[in-house]
Amino acid sequence: MTDQAVAGRRLAKQDNRLSDEMFITSLVAGAAVALFLLASILVPNFFQFQNVVNLVTNNWAVISLGVGVTFLLVSGNFDLSVGGIVALSGVLAVWFAQATDGANALSSGWGMPTWLAMVCALIGAMSIGAVNAAFVVALRVPSIIVTLGTMMLARGIAQVVTQGSQRNTNLPADFGTLGNMTMFGTSIKLPVVLMATLIFVAVFVERKTVFGRLTYLIGANPVASRLSGVDNARHVVKLYLFSAVMAGVVGILLASEFKSGFSNRGTLMEFDALVISLLGGVAIAGGFGSVIGMFFGAIILATVTSAATGLVLSPDWQFTLKAIAVFIAIMAQTWALARRHAG
Amino acid sequence: MTDLTQSPQFGDRLKRFLKDYYIYLVLILVVVVLSTANLDKFPLFERGNFLSERNIINILRVSAPILTLAGAFTLLMISGYIDLSVGSAMSLSAVVYALLAINGVPFVPAFLATVLVGVLLGAINGFLVIRLKITPVIATLITLSLYKGIALLLVEDGVSAIKSGGGLKMPGWFNDYGRDGVFFGLPWAFWVAILVTIAMIVAQDRMKLGKYAAATGGNPMAAKLSGIDTARTVIILYVLVGICAALAGIARSSFMSLGDPLSGDGMELTAILVVLLGGTAFSGGEGRVLKSFIGALIIMSLTVGMLTLVPAYFQTLVVGTALLLAAASNHLVSRKDSES
Repeated sequence: MTDQAVAGRRLAKQDNRLSDEMFITSLVAGAAVALFLLASILVPNFFQFQNVVNLVTNNWAVISLGVGVTFLLVSGNFDLSVGGIVALSGVLAVWFAQATDGANALSSGWGMPTWLAMVCALIGAMSIGAVNAAFVVALRVPSIIVTLGTMMLARGIAQVVTQGSQRNTNLPADFGTLGNMTMFGTSIKLPVVLMATLIFVAVFVERKTVFGRLTYLIGANPVASRLSGVDNARHVVKLYLFSAVMAGVVGILLASEFKSGFSNRGTLMEFDALVISLLGGVAIAGGFGSVIGMFFGAIILATVTSAATGLVLSPDWQFTLKAIAVFIAIMAQTWALARRHAG
Repeated sequence: MTDLTQSPQFGDRLKRFLKDYYIYLVLILVVVVLSTANLDKFPLFERGNFLSERNIINILRVSAPILTLAGAFTLLMISGYIDLSVGSAMSLSAVVYALLAINGVPFVPAFLATVLVGVLLGAINGFLVIRLKITPVIATLITLSLYKGIALLLVEDGVSAIKSGGGLKMPGWFNDYGRDGVFFGLPWAFWVAILVTIAMIVAQDRMKLGKYAAATGGNPMAAKLSGIDTARTVIILYVLVGICAALAGIARSSFMSLGDPLSGDGMELTAILVVLLGGTAFSGGEGRVLKSFIGALIIMSLTVGMLTLVPAYFQTLVVGTALLLAAASNHLVSRKDSES
């Protein structure tokens, strides 16, 4: 009660100041720019336009997954299953599309046309989202445990279908079209354009629609939202299905790009999606964060890791760097918010 | 009339019985299924059958790490906290232990130093969670990445693990702890796991630590108001988990005769799985060390025994399904409790 009263008074006082969310988001964006400039000074040839483009385009998959993960975190729920779903949907799309007359088990599939195979793979991805939703909403199992379980379930199915390796033969000629299509006469690929569109739509939904604002309410105060007539359960179900479908799309596009369904694809992507959300200021307790923040979180992570590569640090540094980056981000955000409210 | 009054009682007693003993029934079921599945090819207790002496010894040997870890992890989860970094802590300990051994440090100092590393890793987790007030999941996710990163950095570039070669050689005693039978055909690592489990059972039933852990998990506010130092309890539990992760790392390292920086990958999932299987409530407050130990035996029997029935690539699917089933049944059991 007092928390809300304080929040209300703060809101009245700070009418024309930035909201806490915008404050943190600009902090994260500032940190991303500062890190990029720092890396430009330290790393030779870092300060190039092409490099900026690469930081975004190389990370389209994780950023796209981050959208669903961010929405769920804002509503107070984890989704660690997205990496497994990336593997599952890619493997399923390939399996469904492979011709039936292959020489061995790994080269023969269901012989569906490409579009149908991809739709069916999406349904497969969505059913993992449905399992997540069922366990979290109906059985009230903590989301971190459920989605760790479905992460293994999805990857497990992918491993069984590919017998622990990959399927990449006997595919229809048009299977690789979607993932390798370039747009507007430039070298920018379709998946990158989709990611950009997704970010814009997500920001609109998050800021300007009832659905988006309800997500915040559910995360910040589930009891209040239920008492004001919101169907929390239905809302969270939709978010899990959305996240799973996005992960399914990413998996299918990756499978199309490489013309293969690989059961270990997307390993650790769920952790990266969580890490960029946290770097972007999304609060794990729910009710706080933004897709734009997540986007800049991804830029921070990409800058740090590619600068480390530029400095010829061994790739083994990536885990340590990630840990340090998340730690600093969380401490800095807590500190900045505390200071702001003290003033 | 007697039927009407007796049947609910009987139902209650059955429920009680199932709740207390279902884990043993599951273990028996798993053993029966695995030992009879291939009966036409491998007769009972003969070579190749699940119940052959060789196979049982093998399972208990490879189970040593998770058996060591299960008890302390249970107490931590009873207190309502979680440690996702146990797998990385195990990898880092394995690398440190192998690194010390290969550079000529004798067994006892190398062992003690690695356990000290475990104390430190657990204390860091406790510090992040209690002093810096970072959510347990995030704090231990940070250290998951950090410990794994350090383990990878300790191993030279271009080499996958600490092992004999390049002028350095693993000492002859390196396998003794985790692989070579010393007592009823089982290595030290297994007997240490038993000792650790007994210690944890004593801690749970006969010491303040167990009661404080349950109180912290059941109702943190009430625990604090009744004078329990919950912060201290949680830090001690994180340190205990760190020590057990170090012991598990030593066991794994000694069994494989190398210090593999990825050897503990996925251990946090197995630990959560066996603890849930043992009926510990997610929300904390309830759970038994011994049941988690049995849960660990079940999972290891399943994953090892399964290899004779289905190809190895079924493993992720089976473990994932088991985790979801354990979570669901755990929920059903605790709901029955709250309704009655």
